[in-house]
Amino acid sequence: MPSGTASFPPGVDMETILSTKALTKKFGGFTANDQIFLTVHEGQIKAIVGENGAGKTTLMNMLYGELQPTSGEIFLRGEKVEFSSPRDAITKGIGMVHQHFMLVPSMTVYENIVLGAEIPGEHLKFLIDRKEEKRRCQSLTEKYGYDLDLNEKISELSIGEQQKVEILKMLYRDVDILILDEPTSVLTPQEVDEFLKQLVDLKAKGKTIILISHKLREIMGVSDEITVIKRGKTIGNVKTEETSEPALAQMMVGRKVLLTVQNQYKPTDNKRVMLQVKNLQTNDRLGKLAVDHVSFTIHSGEVFGIVGVDGNGQTELVKILSGMMEATGGTVEYNGQEITNCLSDQLRKSGIGIIPEDRYGEGLCQEMSLCQNAIAGAVTSKPFSRHAVFNRKQINEYCQHLIDAYQIHIADFNGNVSQLSGGNAQKLIVAREMEGEPRLLIACQPTRGVDIGAIEFIHRQIIDFRDRGGAVLLVSSELNEILSLSDRIGVMYKGKIIGEVDPRTTTETEIGLLMAGMVPDLENGIRSI
Amino acid sequence: MKRIKWKNLANSVLPVFFALLIGAVIMLAMGHNPLNAYRIMFERPLFTLRGLTNTLHIAGPLLLAGLAIAVTFRSNLYNMGVEGQLIFGGFLAGLAGAYLHIPNPFLHKFVCLVVGIIAGMMFVLIPAILRAFLRVDEMVVTLTLNYVMMTVLEYLSSGPFRNQGAGYVSTNTIDKTAMFNRIGKTRLTPFFIIAFLVFLLFFFMHKRMVFGYRGEAVGKNPEFAEATGLRVRRHIVQVMIISGALAGLAGAGHMMSHEFNYTLSFSGTPGIGWDGMLISLLGGHSPAGVLIAAVFYSALKTGSDNINMYTGIPKEIVAIIQGLIVLFLSIRFINDRFGLTKRWRNKRNMKGTVHGTFE
Repeated sequence: MPSGTASFPPGVDMETILSTKALTKKFGGFTANDQIFLTVHEGQIKAIVGENGAGKTTLMNMLYGELQPTSGEIFLRGEKVEFSSPRDAITKGIGMVHQHFMLVPSMTVYENIVLGAEIPGEHLKFLIDRKEEKRRCQSLTEKYGYDLDLNEKISELSIGEQQKVEILKMLYRDVDILILDEPTSVLTPQEVDEFLKQLVDLKAKGKTIILISHKLREIMGVSDEITVIKRGKTIGNVKTEETSEPALAQMMVGRKVLLTVQNQYKPTDNKRVMLQVKNLQTNDRLGKLAVDHVSFTIHSGEVFGIVGVDGNGQTELVKILSGMMEATGGTVEYNGQEITNCLSDQLRKSGIGIIPEDRYGEGLCQEMSLCQNAIAGAVTSKPFSRHAVFNRKQINEYCQHLIDAYQIHIADFNGNVSQLSGGNAQKLIVAREMEGEPRLLIACQPTRGVDIGAIEFIHRQIIDFRDRGGAVLLVSSELNEILSLSDRIGVMYKGKIIGEVDPRTTTETEIGLLMAGMVPDLENGIRSI
Repeated sequence: MKRIKWKNLANSVLPVFFALLIGAVIMLAMGHNPLNAYRIMFERPLFTLRGLTNTLHIAGPLLLAGLAIAVTFRSNLYNMGVEGQLIFGGFLAGLAGAYLHIPNPFLHKFVCLVVGIIAGMMFVLIPAILRAFLRVDEMVVTLTLNYVMMTVLEYLSSGPFRNQGAGYVSTNTIDKTAMFNRIGKTRLTPFFIIAFLVFLLFFFMHKRMVFGYRGEAVGKNPEFAEATGLRVRRHIVQVMIISGALAGLAGAGHMMSHEFNYTLSFSGTPGIGWDGMLISLLGGHSPAGVLIAAVFYSALKTGSDNINMYTGIPKEIVAIIQGLIVLFLSIRFINDRFGLTKRWRNKRNMKGTVHGTFE
C-alpha cells in the first residue's frame, strides 16, 4: 500500500504538518531507511510501528536533525527544511524524547527543564534568574496538569516522572510536534496507563505527536493513524479505526515469505524428550513478571519454535535456559536431568549449544581474535588446551576448519572479530555451537540483521541438525522463519505461551491473532486476553 | 590490529616524552642544559654495570607490584590496594625473618617469602569477596584499606614489635639466614632472579594459558565471558588473590633484599605499590610492557641521585618529571575506565555516520 496518500473524507481534511519524500539513509552498504514517505497531520497522534531494527529510530533521528538523510526531502508545513542539528529542529518546532533519558541526575527538575535555555538575570546578565525560571516551569506544569515538584532532584524521581521532565523540556521550548521513541518500554504498566492519558491530553492541547513503538495494544489505544515500517521501508499506512491488532501484527512481520527452506518433517517413532520446561517464571529488572508459568517439551529430532512480538518474554526465557538469568520458579529438565538455574559452563558440558540473541554481547567478543572466539566455551577441553596451556597449532587448525566448513568470509585470519560482517559473525557463532556437537540447540533470533545468503545457510544448518536427531528451540520474531523451520510453534504473549499451533495446518492469521493476544475461541469467536 | 598496537605504544611513550619535554623547559629556565642533565640521569643507571645492577635491584619489587596491578587491570578490575598488601607482606615477612630462627638459610628465606605471599592474599580477600558476591566497588575498598593497613602497621611496629634498641620506630632486623645476599660486588640479589622468574611465568600465563584468555575475555566483554561458560565471580576472586600474592611477594622481597626491618618509611614515598600503578599504566598492562616500565622507572629513581651529584640541578626535578608522567598517564587512565575519547568520538560520529545499531 503506498503511503503518504492517506485520504480523508471531505470535511474532516486535516492539514499536513510534516511529511517526507523518498527519505533514504544509508550507513555504508546498509540501507536503514529506504525511500520513506511519511505524512503527519496536525493535531493527531501518529504511530510508527515496526520490529526492532526496522529503521524507526533512524527515521526519527532524521526528522529531529540528529542524522542527515542520504537522499530525499523533509517538508514542514509544506516548506522544505534541512536540519543540521536538533537545535535547528527545535527552533522549527520539532522536539524528541529519546528512549534513554538525557537528564542530569544531580540537578533539580526545573534546572533540567531550562538547561541550555537559562533565563539571564534582569540586571546582571551573567546570573540566572531562578525565580523567573521556576515561575515559567510552574505555569507550564499547571497548564499541562503535570504533578511534579520542581525543586526535587532528578535522581529522586521515578522513571515515569523522569519521562514527564523530558516531555516538559520539549514543551518549554514550545514545540508543536513531539516525537517519542519507545516511550513506554521503560515504564511499569500503571505508568503506561498514565502516560497514554497524558498523550491524549497533549493532543487535546493542540500538539502533534509521533509515537514510535512496537507495542500494538498501546498504539491501538491512542493513535489516530499508523504507519508500518519493515526493513527500512514504509509498507503500510492505515487509520487506526480501520485496522486491528492482528492485522497490524501481520503487517509488521510481513506476509511475504522471503525464502523457504526445504523442510520435510519426518516423524520419528523413538522420540525422546530432550527438554522439558515446567511452569518456568522469572521477573525482569523492574520486578515485573517477564516469564509467566511457561511450560513446553521438545523431543529429539524436532524444532520447537517460539514466536511473538518482541518484548513478550522471549528474551528472558532464553536467558534462563542459557544460564544467564535466574528463574524464580519452575523447573527445566534436559535429557532427564534437572538443569534449572545451571550456569552456562554446566549447560555446555551437558551438550547444549546456544546461539544467543545478542550477537556481540553474549555471542562474540569483538575485540578478541577469530581463534579466541572460535574456542570460546571449550577453552579447557582437549585438544585446545592441556593442563590449562593452549595448543596454538590445534586451535589455528580448528579455526581454519570452521572458516572453511561454514564458508565464513574473513579478511585477516589473525584479526579480531570486529572485521566480520553481521552474517559472517553469526556464522562463526553457528559454526562454534554446531561443532560442539550438542544434542539440544537453543537459537534466539539466529538470523536477525543478517544478509539473505547467510539466512539460508543458517536455516539449512538448523534443519540438518534436526535431521541428525538434534532438538532445537528456535525463538524468533520473524514469522517466516518460524513457519518454515518449526515442527511445532508456541506463541508467546505477555510472558505466557498462549497457544501452540501446528505449522502445517495453521494460518498466518491465526498466529497473528495469537501474537496480538487474541485466543481463538470455538464458542465465542475471538477472545482477548 | 597493528594500528591498535601502535596506539598502545603511543599511549605509553607520549606521556614520558611530554614529561621529559616539560622537565627540559624547566631546566632551561633554570639555566641548565637539559640534554646534558638527561644524559647524566640515564647514562649511569642504564649503561654502567654498577648503575644497571643497582637499577635492576630496585626494579625487582617494582616489577612485581606492577604485575600485581596489571593482572587486575586486564580483567577490568582495579586493585588499588597493592601498597597495603605489599607493606603487610613485607611486615609479616620481616617478623618471620626476625622471630623464626630457622638455621637453614634456604628454608628460612622460603618460609619468609611464603608468609609474605599469604599475607598479601589474605588482605586482598576482603575486597575480592565483597566485589564478587556483593558487587561492592573494589576500587574504593582496596584504596581505603591501604590507610587502614598503614595505621595498623604503624601501631604494631611502634608498639608490640618495636625494636627497643633502635632510636627510631623499627622492628627487629631479620636474621642473616633470611637475608638475600648480594651477588658479587653488585647490589643485585637472588631476589631479582625470583622476580624475573615470576615475570616469565606470568608472561607465559598471559600469552599461552587459559588464565590469560579468561582475563582478556572478562576484561573485554564480561557478558560474553559468562555466556561462554566462564565463572566470572570465581575469576574475579582468583585474579584478586593472585594480585595480592604478587604484592605480598614484592613486599617480602623488598624486606629481605633491601630494608631488613620494618620502619615507617619501609615502602618509601610515594610507595612501591603506588609506583607499581604508574608502571602498570606505563607498560599498558602487558607483562612485557610492565618489565620495561619497571626498569625505566627504577632508572629514573636511581638517576635522581646522579643529577644532584654531577649537575647543579636539584634532584626534585625528577619528582617533577615523575609527577608529570602521572599527570599525562592519567589522561589515558580516565580513557580506560570511562572511555573519554571514545565518547568524544561517538559524539562526533553521531553527526552523519553511525548512531545506534541496526541489527
